[in-house]
Amino acid sequence: MQERLDYRKAHSVEEALTLFQDLPRSRYMAGGTDLLPRARGSGQAPSRLVDIKGIPELSRIEELPSGDLRIGAAVSVAAVAAHPTVRQRFSALSLCASALGSYPLRNRATVVGNICNASPCADTAAALLCLDATVLCVGPAGPRRIPIHEFFVGPGQTSLASGELALAVEIPAASAGGRAELGRLSRRQGVDIATVAVLLSVLPQRSPRHRVALLSVAPTPRRASEAETLLDQRGPSAANAAAEAAMAAARPIDDVRGTAAYRREMVGVLLTRAVRALGAA
Amino acid sequence: MSQGRWVGRDVLRVDGLEKVTGAARYLADVKLPRMLYAQVVRSPHPHARVREVDVSRALSVAGVRAVATGRDFPFHVGIYLKDQTVFATDRVRFVGDPVAAVAAESPEAAREAAALVRVEYEPLPALFDVRQGILPDAPLVHPDLGKYQVVPWITPQAGTNICNHLKVRKGDYHAALKTAAHVVENTFVVPQVQHVPMEVHGSAARMDLSGKLEVLTSAQSPFTVRHLLCACFGLSHGDVRVMVPQVGGGFGGKAGINLEPIVTALAMRVPGRWVRLVLTRAEEFYAAVVRQGLVATLTTGVDRSGKVVAQRMHYLWDCGAYGGYGVNVVRAAGYTCGGAYEFPNVWGDSIGVYTNRPVGSAYRGFGMQEIHWALEQQMDMVAHEIGEDPIAFRLKNCLGPGKRTVTGQLLDEHSGRVDQCIQRVAQAFSEPLATRPGRLRGRGLACAVKAPAMPNDAASSVLLKFCEDGVLEVLVSGIDYGQGLRTVAAQFAAEALNLPIEQVRVRNLPDTDLSPYDWQTVASRQTWATGNAILRAAEKCKAQLFETASQVLGAPVERLALRDGQVVDTGGAGRVPITRLVMGYQFPDGHVIGGPVAAAAHHVPEGLLFLDPQTSQSAKPVAKWTFGAQGVEISVDPDTGHIQVDRVVACYDVGQVVNQGLILGQTYGGVVQGLGTGLMEELKLDLLTGKAQNANLVDYKIPTALDVPAALEASFVETPQKDGPMGARGIGEHTMIPTPAALANALYAACGIRIQEMPLTAEKVRAALREKRAKG
Amino acid sequence: MAIPIRVKVNGQVEALEVAPDESLLSMLRERLDLTGAKEGCNEGECGACVVLLDGKAVNACLVLAAEADGHEVTTIEGLGRPGALHPLQKAFLAHQAVQCGFCTPGMIMTALSLLLENPAPTEEEVRTAISGNLCRCTGYRQILDAVQAAAQEMRAGAQGRRP
Repeated sequence: MQERLDYRKAHSVEEALTLFQDLPRSRYMAGGTDLLPRARGSGQAPSRLVDIKGIPELSRIEELPSGDLRIGAAVSVAAVAAHPTVRQRFSALSLCASALGSYPLRNRATVVGNICNASPCADTAAALLCLDATVLCVGPAGPRRIPIHEFFVGPGQTSLASGELALAVEIPAASAGGRAELGRLSRRQGVDIATVAVLLSVLPQRSPRHRVALLSVAPTPRRASEAETLLDQRGPSAANAAAEAAMAAARPIDDVRGTAAYRREMVGVLLTRAVRALGAA
Repeated sequence: MSQGRWVGRDVLRVDGLEKVTGAARYLADVKLPRMLYAQVVRSPHPHARVREVDVSRALSVAGVRAVATGRDFPFHVGIYLKDQTVFATDRVRFVGDPVAAVAAESPEAAREAAALVRVEYEPLPALFDVRQGILPDAPLVHPDLGKYQVVPWITPQAGTNICNHLKVRKGDYHAALKTAAHVVENTFVVPQVQHVPMEVHGSAARMDLSGKLEVLTSAQSPFTVRHLLCACFGLSHGDVRVMVPQVGGGFGGKAGINLEPIVTALAMRVPGRWVRLVLTRAEEFYAAVVRQGLVATLTTGVDRSGKVVAQRMHYLWDCGAYGGYGVNVVRAAGYTCGGAYEFPNVWGDSIGVYTNRPVGSAYRGFGMQEIHWALEQQMDMVAHEIGEDPIAFRLKNCLGPGKRTVTGQLLDEHSGRVDQCIQRVAQAFSEPLATRPGRLRGRGLACAVKAPAMPNDAASSVLLKFCEDGVLEVLVSGIDYGQGLRTVAAQFAAEALNLPIEQVRVRNLPDTDLSPYDWQTVASRQTWATGNAILRAAEKCKAQLFETASQVLGAPVERLALRDGQVVDTGGAGRVPITRLVMGYQFPDGHVIGGPVAAAAHHVPEGLLFLDPQTSQSAKPVAKWTFGAQGVEISVDPDTGHIQVDRVVACYDVGQVVNQGLILGQTYGGVVQGLGTGLMEELKLDLLTGKAQNANLVDYKIPTALDVPAALEASFVETPQKDGPMGARGIGEHTMIPTPAALANALYAACGIRIQEMPLTAEKVRAALREKRAKG
Repeated sequence: MAIPIRVKVNGQVEALEVAPDESLLSMLRERLDLTGAKEGCNEGECGACVVLLDGKAVNACLVLAAEADGHEVTTIEGLGRPGALHPLQKAFLAHQAVQCGFCTPGMIMTALSLLLENPAPTEEEVRTAISGNLCRCTGYRQILDAVQAAAQEMRAGAQGRRP
């Protein structure tokens, strides 16, 4: 008989780590919206799912005394999108969280889960990249903080070590107060993976002030730093040059959702539009 | 709009309550005692010889009760052309072709065992393109084509990949073309698409210990399933019972016969046990059935007055691996090849070609959306070529009373008016289109026509009977999979017998042991055929009631009328409630006259004639035509290529609106399904492996609520159908026929680009715009 | 390796032993015979299985039965009864928003979740909320109208109850 999946609910971080260590091919599960269909469909099913939604401290969105925002790993995408602080101070994240999946899915999926899947099209990754978020994690070797820029390694791959559990993402207070514009193309209007997406965020307290994140055009979600520099230096008048730079930064492939050439071209179109929209705002 | 007491009004769905409360039971909701789970072993190759099938390891899995293969069941099946076997015998012809099936105590055991069936294949060259399929050196998908059983009006050609070829020859095309002032030729392409019913295919079967077979199936055609199962397995109709629970959408994909032979084969191996097979969504995409692809080449010759004088139509259909049902799509597209227009000189060929793609079958529109994609763009392109307005050009050339179709059939004043539909849409577009910054806007129009494609003897029958309390039971065997047959049946019965609609109950979970015969729920034929049968049966019931009442009231039958559950003597004061009549009337002295009131009736199309085998000329090849037109308004984002559909205006000549809410539902639903195929749908195959690349809802997109245009408008012309129930004709399929072509025409109007390959994706639009700019 | 759970389904506490890989959808359908929630894709892409988990719409195929331990589930069967239908059920009937009916339970549950959160949604908000619930029959137009009508009735009902 086929080996059957094991499910365990952890009530503390320590318990989660222990449960994970017990069996090879364990996986941590938050919303499970990506994990469960994949576990069903493929031959690489995990042997154990360690459910982290029963860990109280992971289920909170907290504003820290420093003004940083901490989003626990079990907080749903919908809760993040609707959270007043997120909407007011970190609108880029609210925008991207609202674009992810469907309404029932957003009620279940989590932001931390979304980035741990490390899909090139992970919507919330675009915002977290622009906002200089940090991933808090803990593993057998102890706790550590991973800057979001070092978090994505390849399609489906993160810099988390085996057994390491992502506890939360933190967004620094200095990233607050900006404006953001999300350009996102998909094959239909409702609920679709982005064929290509560009997030432009302007953060008054940061350098560079302009942040450009690209989705579905590289092995991982990524920033387009040359474009950011150009926009910082020359403002909206650099729109075309920034678009060229972002297109050059893209490494798209051909797949069933679109061709590399179209994706690259659309990076330019979407960024130009975002610059215009924010410039005019 | 003419209105009766019930017909023509917005009567609420009679099966609505069970659907909004969760009470409605679909196949997978039915609990079958000690049911076994089936899993199909499918070919991973698009084309291969099957050397050996070894089931020994599969049989050793705990919980496995049966494994069936093509060696056990080498029986042929197919509705018109028996070109398929239950399981592959010597050869597999598409990725997904069933090779064997397993029945086990759990789905896990069935999956495990299926994975352990060892099949030795010898891959053969695969064919994916119909244009290559008709070449002399093409690999043959069915080398035994000449040996298959086939109905007389389908013409497979042995030694080729052609499973049907219909020729239409009217007038003298070649001579007329020479006289044309302008000649326009274009080629159009439609890919394979899938129906995507929300409920996937599923079937269950049990053979009891006495040898009687029961089949429960999500199907459009219980009686046809029974008939074809009996032919396949050599069973008597008397020993096979087919039952259909609620069906969660079909759109043609559940017509004919589908999974039933597979579960029957397994059930025969495990007498006494139910065996159920429910496809996964992935299997639904590549291993159920799809809509055929089409390559259409049209040549149009026009004279100086803007009349088409010669029209050639060459349709190459991608029937996929098996043409059992699809051959009739080829035929229907042949005798309808000219669409909604009168062409005096016609050279038409509709050719079905086998490929190693998924199996083509019926899909809402039955070939009509595909040929209209070509015809309706061609009409616009010709109009532009000769400098005429596309609407005026259509009105000049369209069919109507006194005009002749491509098969020479003369239309009369009862045949429906496409000209009026065109004018309605044109009227809705009389205001200039408002501009929108950064967008290119345009309007497009396309017409539609479709006849029911069915054998000349396709019948529907009904049974009406009264309960003791005066409730009328209406037994109909068409499938109501959402289109509203049950409600329409109740309306006709209530209208004819002048009953409150609450007093009518439509019994409609068809069971071939108990229900009256119905050929199939296809071809937009149920309102028309079942409606007619109900009106006839109601007349018979009325006659029985009046015969008894006449004696009770002492009044001649001619003076009697039915009013709200009473038979009334219109010439006197006497009346008698039907509750006193429906089981027979008992006089005060105790003697009884009459008896339980009940009547059966049927409808069979009248006077249909075969097509001439050489030219397809026929005075009455089909029962009726439904005409219509749709207009769309779109906004194109020139930088991304995205098309936003702002407004759709639809108008059809339906003869008589039977139910206002339901006909709007059919129109909105068809339009949005048409937007799906027009804008986003395509089953994509990897041409190296033959595997579907998007066999899931992540990458095969159908429209969502956010894809629905802000304005959806529907109106109806009502030119009564002579043989229609109270004048009604079919509408269910027609609503998705013209939408993609209207979009393509709007795209041309908006930005001067013409895309001849469906669907109109943003990428294609963007590429075409860039090409146009490059040409300057 | 059965997992004992206690879950409140449509107001009634159920004590069950579920398999670790059993979905909430399968638990509802196979163990409790609540077949209103449908399996349309088993990967969260169609919405036919939507139920409320602690008052919020979720795809029941993407939730494990074990995860529902200690939580509250509402399915279409827990809504209204003939004669006392929920405003959404009434509106779906009145607006002819039902065709084959396969998507209807999930559609109604998603709409209910939205209206509990946002009693007066715009049409765009309704479209967005139900865009994860696929319907192949209706073209959605009558569904959108039904949800708005139900919202209005629910608002009127809420006002009526106020002192």
